[in-house]
Amino acid sequence: MRHGYFAKIGFKHIKLEIMIGPIISSGIVSPAWDNIFAVILGMGFGFALESSGFSSSRKIIGTFFGYDFVVVKVFFTAAIVASVGLLYLSYFGLVDFSLLYIQPTFLTSAIVGGIIMGIGFAMGGFCPGTSLAACAVGRIDGMVFFGGMFIGVFLFSESFPLFENMYYSGSQGAKMINTAFGISPELFTFFLVLAAVGMFFGAAWVQKKVKKVEY
Amino acid sequence: MERKYTILAVLLIVLALGLVILPKKKELKETDPKVLLSAITEKLRFLSADLVTHRIIEKDPTLMLIDLRPATQFKAFALPGAINIQPESLLTSETMELLNQPGKDKVLYANSDIQAEKAWLIGTRYSINRLYILKGGLNEWYNTIIKPAEASSTASSTDLDLLSFRNAARQYFTGAGQTNETSSAKAPVKVNVVRKAPEAKSGGGC
Repeated sequence: MRHGYFAKIGFKHIKLEIMIGPIISSGIVSPAWDNIFAVILGMGFGFALESSGFSSSRKIIGTFFGYDFVVVKVFFTAAIVASVGLLYLSYFGLVDFSLLYIQPTFLTSAIVGGIIMGIGFAMGGFCPGTSLAACAVGRIDGMVFFGGMFIGVFLFSESFPLFENMYYSGSQGAKMINTAFGISPELFTFFLVLAAVGMFFGAAWVQKKVKKVEY
Repeated sequence: MERKYTILAVLLIVLALGLVILPKKKELKETDPKVLLSAITEKLRFLSADLVTHRIIEKDPTLMLIDLRPATQFKAFALPGAINIQPESLLTSETMELLNQPGKDKVLYANSDIQAEKAWLIGTRYSINRLYILKGGLNEWYNTIIKPAEASSTASSTDLDLLSFRNAARQYFTGAGQTNETSSAKAPVKVNVVRKAPEAKSGGGC
């Protein structure tokens, strides 16, 4: 969306436009750029994963054994920085909140999928993105994990009619967690930041108590 | 925890607290008259009965149907999943919060276009995005989906496909098997509709 403001300079009226995001949904950039942005962002994401050490399954599995909480810290940091940033950008009129794409919630499949992914995460020491980062740097365990994931995706796709009803059940639409709690997004973000900071200190405390693992 | 991380944590808490205590923005931001005028001339604000029906059958979670008719008519019959909002309560804070939900296509309908057009104008003026009108209202929807016209002998394959979709949709909504049946629309009956897998969209996660 563009907000127009008119300025009178001499005898001419010049329209000054302030662009606000999201730039694709608001029509500032053509949707044809969608995949190009996806590739650029994906490369950046992969680079960040690798540079944070996420291509090591031992680093990721450290969360479950209490010797390395970097995964939890990185994802919580991403969540709170993005939430606070988006709300400020929206407050100052630089992002149109209503144009953001919200992933629809399907409760049953989210719970079942979450359990399966959690088990895979704990067993393999990777999630889908980090396994690709591990593949990229030549780690064998990452390649095995990615192969297994690919077989799982293939089997799920082939047997989709069996799971279809479960897949679509519990549809909640594009639901925001703050509306589920009946509070404003700002208040929810404040509580989320408090919880994240509490978790950062808690994780540091646990890490001190647990025997350091060299890897 | 290292000192630099403690400082960053405190900074984030202060920023988040700032969000809570900042004065709330004016609830209703008005659209620039020129932008509004240009939106009025756009035909894209109308969604056809076929398209809306397709999205209802697909159980599209981004679709929000808003029925603007009186509550008595709404109770008698409404499109599946529709919410009844009276035009006079369109600008209340509860309704505005509902209409400003992100990620939803809000489709307004009444018996004809007139009421929905008025509501669309008010909503668009107050910067509600992704607001649409069911073209022709419930009357056109009924004539298109529940009482579809017979195909002419020279109908193209596209027209025949469309008619076949309408017949399937009619069965979805009424359970009836015959074309041109005059029975009114009843409560939706579950039929086996082959759904397409949802389009892959960028999601979160790692």
